Amino acid sequence: MKNMYIIIAAIVIIAIIIGGVFAYISLSTPAKTSTSTLAAATLNGAGSTLVFPLMSIWTPVYAQAQPNIKIDYSPVGSGTGITDLTKKLVDFGASDAPMTAAQYTAVGSTVLTIPESASGVVPAYNIPGISNGLNFTGALLANIFLGKITNWNDPAIAALNPGTTLPNLAITVIHRSDGSGTMYAFTDYLSQASSVWNTTVGKGTSVNWPVGIGEPKNAGVAAGIADTSGSIGPLEIAYEIQNPNQISYGAVQNAAGNYILANVTNIAAALQAGASSGLPAGNAAWTKVSIVDSIYSNAAATNAYPITTLTYILVYQQQSSDVQGAALVNFLSWIVNTGQADGSGLGYVPLPANIVAIDNTSIGQITYNGTPIK
Amino acid sequence: MLRGDVILKVIVAAAALFIIGLLVSLAVELYAGSAASIGEFGSAFLIGRTWDPVHEIFGALPFIYGTLLTSAIAILIGLPISLGVAIFISERLKSHQGFGYLLGTVVDLLAAVPSVIYGLWGLLILSPLLRDYVEKPLHQSLGFIPLFSGTPFGLDFFTAGIILAIMIIPTMSAVSRNVLNAVPNSQREAMYSLGATEWEVTQKSVLPYARSGIFGAFVLGLGRAVGETMAVTMVIGNTPRITANLFSGGYTLSSLIANEFGESSGLYQSAIIEIALILFLVALVINIFARLLLWRMTRGTRVRI
Repeated sequence: MKNMYIIIAAIVIIAIIIGGVFAYISLSTPAKTSTSTLAAATLNGAGSTLVFPLMSIWTPVYAQAQPNIKIDYSPVGSGTGITDLTKKLVDFGASDAPMTAAQYTAVGSTVLTIPESASGVVPAYNIPGISNGLNFTGALLANIFLGKITNWNDPAIAALNPGTTLPNLAITVIHRSDGSGTMYAFTDYLSQASSVWNTTVGKGTSVNWPVGIGEPKNAGVAAGIADTSGSIGPLEIAYEIQNPNQISYGAVQNAAGNYILANVTNIAAALQAGASSGLPAGNAAWTKVSIVDSIYSNAAATNAYPITTLTYILVYQQQSSDVQGAALVNFLSWIVNTGQADGSGLGYVPLPANIVAIDNTSIGQITYNGTPIK
Repeated sequence: MLRGDVILKVIVAAAALFIIGLLVSLAVELYAGSAASIGEFGSAFLIGRTWDPVHEIFGALPFIYGTLLTSAIAILIGLPISLGVAIFISERLKSHQGFGYLLGTVVDLLAAVPSVIYGLWGLLILSPLLRDYVEKPLHQSLGFIPLFSGTPFGLDFFTAGIILAIMIIPTMSAVSRNVLNAVPNSQREAMYSLGATEWEVTQKSVLPYARSGIFGAFVLGLGRAVGETMAVTMVIGNTPRITANLFSGGYTLSSLIANEFGESSGLYQSAIIEIALILFLVALVINIFARLLLWRMTRGTRVRI
């Protein structure tokens, strides 16, 4: 029995120590002095895994500008991020695809959609002896991913690539197994290019792939392509920018008929062209917004890369706390106006001026108690 | 004194009830989460072969099939190896206990390797090796058998089964070792006194005595194989297919949850939670079955599991 008292006493002492440490941490944190005019706040965000590396770059840089505001972002996936926002568990959600009609209904109150970064998707392949720049059209990609074209020596591929000797090699399709905005953009593009794809498969973060094997994440697809001779798969441009000359990728024909090998410049050109044909107001429904769709037949955008997509931050227009609201407005303005350049090294494409202008209007609409915060 | 007893009782009872409560709330939560999907698809969910999030058509059969097939491959390969290790340590190394202990510890250490490491190793090293040196020769020489008829990619049921086999060997060999150690020495001595060889003793006396315990080890290994997620996701190819061809990409229940839950919502999410419910029930049944068998075998003897 004596032993038991000792054990209980030990548990109590440990509990006191742990409690004390927590109390010390929580009391000492707000005591930090700062020159900032904003009250201390922690902004919680959740959603897209695609923007997580970008958030990780932004967080310390932003902390220097606003030491009082802490950003806590969880890369739980776009769908879960929107669910968390709906349940008001987070201050902002991040999604690779715009919210669906059902998601807008579930949320109830007005949500602002703020594009905050952009990316492109490239057809990456592993064909012995062939480097970057094999030419593809949307129809060809759709037929490959539908399983209708199964060998690299197919006349349909040769017709687009005169002068290139294509091997007699079976095509292995490799795609993402996890739901992702990359696949949303890619299947969106295939749906535009092929009515068969549109009716049988459609577009989504996860789809029922007719052929091929799935690998988790961008890195999984890249490893699968690198390991498999004759493979092709959709890869984020970020991978190619961070790992140059490891996996070859092809050029995709745009509406003007030009074959475009994706880079930061021609993705920005696509965004510019896509946004100029009209994006909705921040507080309207963005369900149908797609850069892929809006530039698909825009022949004037001669230098635009066709498989280009925006990623979005989602916030409530009416904020329920002035402190949180002010911090949120400050953070959003910062990433849209100042933070854009920080991501280009990682392959995130800075937003063109016309989208930044739309974002700034939306951020100006964030209110607390009916009055704009900004 | 009495007060100490009461406090202890309350604390330990609370701990025990907490675990039961956890299990019950898990089941309730999974059922509640999958209610929308159960209402929409009913029993057709269990036999449906299509998984199409865009058109919201969901069926679990390819995933149930993939889970059972990869687990079966894992058991077929893992059980003989585990049994061999266990017999080697408990019978052959009886007089060299230090070495037996060392070998046993090394096998146990396999269990301590995080599954994502197995997955990476499987994807980057094992899968190309299997494809070039096992699957291609099998395909070329025995390709007329449906099992080996597909073009080998290396990311398929077969590779997933091998990875799982490696991952369940520590569990199965540890349990087998313990049940073999629990076989009374009088059993062996009686055989030796009749002039039996070592092989005859193992085959006719030790293994029959330990058989239900070994079966328990098999079922525990199966339980692990069924639930394993990360390593399988990286090597199975993640394609919902039902085919006898081992060199085709497949999909398991747990891989589907890991892959698609984060981006899902609405009915789609509910269908994924129903997949989790199915996995939960399968794993629960297997484990209850294993415990019962082990308990039958080892009543009265001390066994560490």
